Amino acid sequence: MAGPLLDRVGHDARIVATYISLGVVNLVQYRSDFVLAVVNGLITLVTQLLALAVVFGQTSELGGWSRHDLLVLVGVHFLIGGLIGLVIRPSMETMMEGIRLGTFDFTLVKPADSQLLASVQVVRPPALVDVAIGVGVVVWGVGGRGGALSAGDVALFLLTLLCGTVTIYSFVLALSTMAFWFVRLDNVLAIFQSLFGQAGRWPVTIFPGWLRLLLTFAVPLAFAVTVPSEALTGRLDLATTLGAVALAAVFFAAARWFWFFALRRYTGASA
Amino acid sequence: MTAITVDRLHKTYTVPEREGGLRAAVGSLVRRRTRQVRAVAEVSFEIDHGEVVGFLGPNGAGKTTTLKMLAGLLHPTSGEARVLGSTPWQRERSYLSRMALIMGQRNQLQWDIPVLDSYRLNQAVFRIPDAQFRSRLDELTELLELQALLRKPVRNLSLGERMKCEIAGSLLHAPQVLFLDEPTIGLDVAMQRRIRSFVADYNRRTGACVMLTSHYMADVEALCRRVIVIHHGRLLFDGGLTDLVHRFAAEKTITVELEESRADDADLARLVGGHPLERSATGISVRVPKAETARVAARLLAELPVVDLVVEEPPIESVIEQVFDAPEEQPSGQEVTGG
Repeated sequence: MAGPLLDRVGHDARIVATYISLGVVNLVQYRSDFVLAVVNGLITLVTQLLALAVVFGQTSELGGWSRHDLLVLVGVHFLIGGLIGLVIRPSMETMMEGIRLGTFDFTLVKPADSQLLASVQVVRPPALVDVAIGVGVVVWGVGGRGGALSAGDVALFLLTLLCGTVTIYSFVLALSTMAFWFVRLDNVLAIFQSLFGQAGRWPVTIFPGWLRLLLTFAVPLAFAVTVPSEALTGRLDLATTLGAVALAAVFFAAARWFWFFALRRYTGASA
Repeated sequence: MTAITVDRLHKTYTVPEREGGLRAAVGSLVRRRTRQVRAVAEVSFEIDHGEVVGFLGPNGAGKTTTLKMLAGLLHPTSGEARVLGSTPWQRERSYLSRMALIMGQRNQLQWDIPVLDSYRLNQAVFRIPDAQFRSRLDELTELLELQALLRKPVRNLSLGERMKCEIAGSLLHAPQVLFLDEPTIGLDVAMQRRIRSFVADYNRRTGACVMLTSHYMADVEALCRRVIVIHHGRLLFDGGLTDLVHRFAAEKTITVELEESRADDADLARLVGGHPLERSATGISVRVPKAETARVAARLLAELPVVDLVVEEPPIESVIEQVFDAPEEQPSGQEVTGG
């Protein structure tokens, strides 16, 4: 049983590695995009810092979060946003276009996991700028808070970051999978992106209860951004950690089920 | 050895239907009316390893739907198919890694990256060992003259260059079954010929089974001894290309060379029974219904100073045209023969 499974994982890993290496090899093609990404990233960063300055000009904490705690959150928000922009969003956009134009057929006739192929088919390196900004801001925020992080904190952070990314990925995949029924669906991703950009950069704990529920389970931003930030700011408890793992598993399983459900009904763009 | 077995394959699409106008549009949001459209109906055939079969039919006949079912892209509504021992739509990796689908109107190479990078991706996906990848790539590069193209991004290639690269990319894993859907569409005549001879060569060298759809009869004539014709989703004919012409040609052309062209027009028209007639420098040619061929030929031989007389089948294009023009459910729809 373990043999074929390992074999599959090895195959999948090789495919992912090839896509990544192609993204790197073709970096030069993205030179101007990189410049744009830096400018865009810096503008977003300054706007967010200004917003924080306005808030903390009035108060010394927001729902229990200090200025530096929120800096960490802004950093995590950048980091996750960068990961989404690096591979998830461009791949999903390409997939939806492929469904519309019929080139998605070629993804399905390849002897590999169709969900994997669809999900990693475009790697857009300029998004690494956001990842780098995110890491920088997280380090800045953690440094500003004072007090050392234990290895356990960092491990919990990485674990919850992974779970958050998986949850967001599954959510976006499920949204994009609806393109099998509704041909023009690009707007759905735009709505998600703006929700992520606006609501995602605040701790969900400051929102009223109904909105918090919505942002946790319907559009799972809470576990993606707030929970990893909690790991770095000494707020994370065991229940939330387990919740993050469980939520990621449930979202992933559901998205994968939905994916294969949709494939069985795939009719393709006509000849 | 049979490579492809298709048994009463049937595919019905459910398509949304609404009338024009705002009211109907709003109505359809609330209650979607759908209609069943039959794309492929009870189609059965078998194809052996090493065969190249032309799959013909007018637009919308069900060719692409059939190919897509055989490539594993679509689940049929009913019926069975086995390709290389697998049921295609179960999409087993062992099947997909021995099959290739090439569509002339769609490209699978990544637009923004060099051709060679897309090939590397195929190498990873199809698990082609390095040594095999290199030797096959060298071979395909030579046969299709790809040397200058491999390092260019796909978007910088012409249509013909892109098609050559598409084909090479689809053959790196040495598929045993090839589904070619209009592989030469939009290409110039020289490039069409190149692709054609390459496909013939690939089939000869590897013994791969090829199913080809094309609107260019030259492709079919050059590559396929056997053709399968479907129309309105039904199998209309399965057999040799020459048999197809024989069976469906409604007319024959009689060309006669004359010693001297004395006969006047009225006389000739009477001789050929009023059928369309063309005069040439050396004689005449006339298109007559198949059943009257012998009678008209005999009359011409008896009454004119004939030097030579030739009876010909019409060109395949015009035969195919006649077949495709046939309305649905006419008697010839049941004329199905084993191939």
